[in-house]
Amino acid sequence: MFSTQIRDVDDFNPRRRRTLWNTPAASMLTTTTHTIRYPTSRKGHASAHQLSAKFEDLYGFMVEGNVDDVNVLNDVREKIREQGRVWWAVEASKGANWYLQPRISSNGGEGVISVTSLKLSVLTNTITLRRLIRKGVPPVLRPKVWLSVSGAAKKRSTVPETYYDELIRATEGKTTPATLQIDHDLPRTFPCHPWLNSEDGQAALRRVLVGYSFRDSEVGYCQGLNYVAALLLLVMKTEEDAFWMLAVLLENVLVNDCYTDNLSGCHVEQRVFKDLLAKKCPRIAAHLEAMGFDVSLVATEWFLCLFSKTLPSETTLRVWDVLFNEGAKVLFHVALAIFKMREEDLLRIQHIGDVIDILQTTAHHLYDPDEFLTFAFDKIGSMTTNTITKERKKQETVVMAELDQRIRRLSSLKMDG
Amino acid sequence: MAANAGNKIRNAKLVLLGDVGAGKSSLVLRFVKGQFVEFQESTIGAAFFSQTLAVNDETVKFEIWDTAGQERYHSLAPMYYRGAAAAIVVYDITNPASFTRAKKWVQELQAQGNPSTVVALAGNKADLLETRKVQIEEAKTYAQENRLFFMETSAKTAINVNDIFYEIAKRLLQGQPAQNPQAGMVLTQRPNERLVSASSCCS
Repeated sequence: MFSTQIRDVDDFNPRRRRTLWNTPAASMLTTTTHTIRYPTSRKGHASAHQLSAKFEDLYGFMVEGNVDDVNVLNDVREKIREQGRVWWAVEASKGANWYLQPRISSNGGEGVISVTSLKLSVLTNTITLRRLIRKGVPPVLRPKVWLSVSGAAKKRSTVPETYYDELIRATEGKTTPATLQIDHDLPRTFPCHPWLNSEDGQAALRRVLVGYSFRDSEVGYCQGLNYVAALLLLVMKTEEDAFWMLAVLLENVLVNDCYTDNLSGCHVEQRVFKDLLAKKCPRIAAHLEAMGFDVSLVATEWFLCLFSKTLPSETTLRVWDVLFNEGAKVLFHVALAIFKMREEDLLRIQHIGDVIDILQTTAHHLYDPDEFLTFAFDKIGSMTTNTITKERKKQETVVMAELDQRIRRLSSLKMDG
Repeated sequence: MAANAGNKIRNAKLVLLGDVGAGKSSLVLRFVKGQFVEFQESTIGAAFFSQTLAVNDETVKFEIWDTAGQERYHSLAPMYYRGAAAAIVVYDITNPASFTRAKKWVQELQAQGNPSTVVALAGNKADLLETRKVQIEEAKTYAQENRLFFMETSAKTAINVNDIFYEIAKRLLQGQPAQNPQAGMVLTQRPNERLVSASSCCS
């Protein structure tokens, strides 16, 4: 059962089970590692708004923000407490760890509960969970909920308990192109975060990334995964859990080949995104196209880092809550929403630099996850996974042909040279 | 660097290409913000910056694309060098493999890019003389053969960083008619714009 797969902290192996870092006590919620810049429209405001302060957020990032930002962050912190109370209330009525078993098998109820009523309870739980997750998983519950809903716990249950330790042991002392690149990137991964910047933090991040590069040699290591794994470590608290979340993300949640070889999966997602932008925000798409602005210029990083370098941390994690429960289509919702919420401004802009500026400034300031996610779902409208899958299939052929052509052209160059 | 109001601003797309860790982002950061940090966040996809430079009585506004260096990201590169007025191909003078990689970028630009793109070759980390592996003569000869202009730079000590961008700006202004949008140079008149201002979006 699920409960046995969620491992206890008093287990014998300290490295694997140890809590890696502690949440700062005086935490302020929501974060970004970027220096906050004020949107153009606010430039003329009174100096009180310009006063900036530095503080540590719930996930240990140093954040710099003005008075307005601090206020929004405090509201968000209060909302998280409220949301925590909602989760406890549901737990009180449904029983502890109810969310770990959204898909109950029918054999347990045979003879006692009818199959129909059992299915109904499963359905109710699934719906309740989906609704709750969209409103946010409380940080303290994230590790358990993510492991369960993403399928990471199930994935782990198919291998021996010692899998991770043995994998790490097997990688010790080995040098590969992946480990060289990982070593190069460790100090360059959220260098502003105190734990990630520490020896312990970098060692843990290294083990997760190197371990994964040995698990899947086709992916090996791709830049961008360092940010994803780092944030996973901060949320999951133990490196083995972070490792399994990375595995389920790359193997089940995201489209195939996002990070392999020539990033073909990433190219596919970008094409799907362009197509969706044309459908959902036709005016923006037409305007940007007329300007010669390729939306992938800005959206590639969003999809590869899953917004971890773009959005404030709590907002990113709220996106990930939905990502792990509902799948990769949430990434399209979020990317479209960033464009859509500045539609009028974007339509007025004539310079590529200004487009990027407005999108990035907007994204960096999305401190209120509730407001943003409501917009991303309600204003963008529904997209079924089915439609997206079909669109991906269509684009896959085009992308493969394009990448193939590029390789052929480049290899003919080498022969000439 | 002061420029007169009413001065014409030329927008020029510039792309930085080169091996991972050659110091592309550091060069940009030095040029745009005058800063150097030992551990620059790794670039994913590409980061965008803009910086304005006055050359005599004209002004070039660089729209800079700083691309990711890892090999698998190279399939994204055409998106960034397409329509670029200028490119800086960066290698690390202490790393011969990065010089080989730089030559491949030059080759790709010559074959796929716009023929009028101004291409500069930058041998970065020029402050690390004791560990130099790529000789200056070798790079110079290569640059001459390929009609690139070449400088050794150091983002750390700022040597030649502004100079390489200044030289590019000069060549852009000399070499290209402003009316030619194909070359990535767009003539715009924005008299009220604050000149020599930098904005950056290091994402």
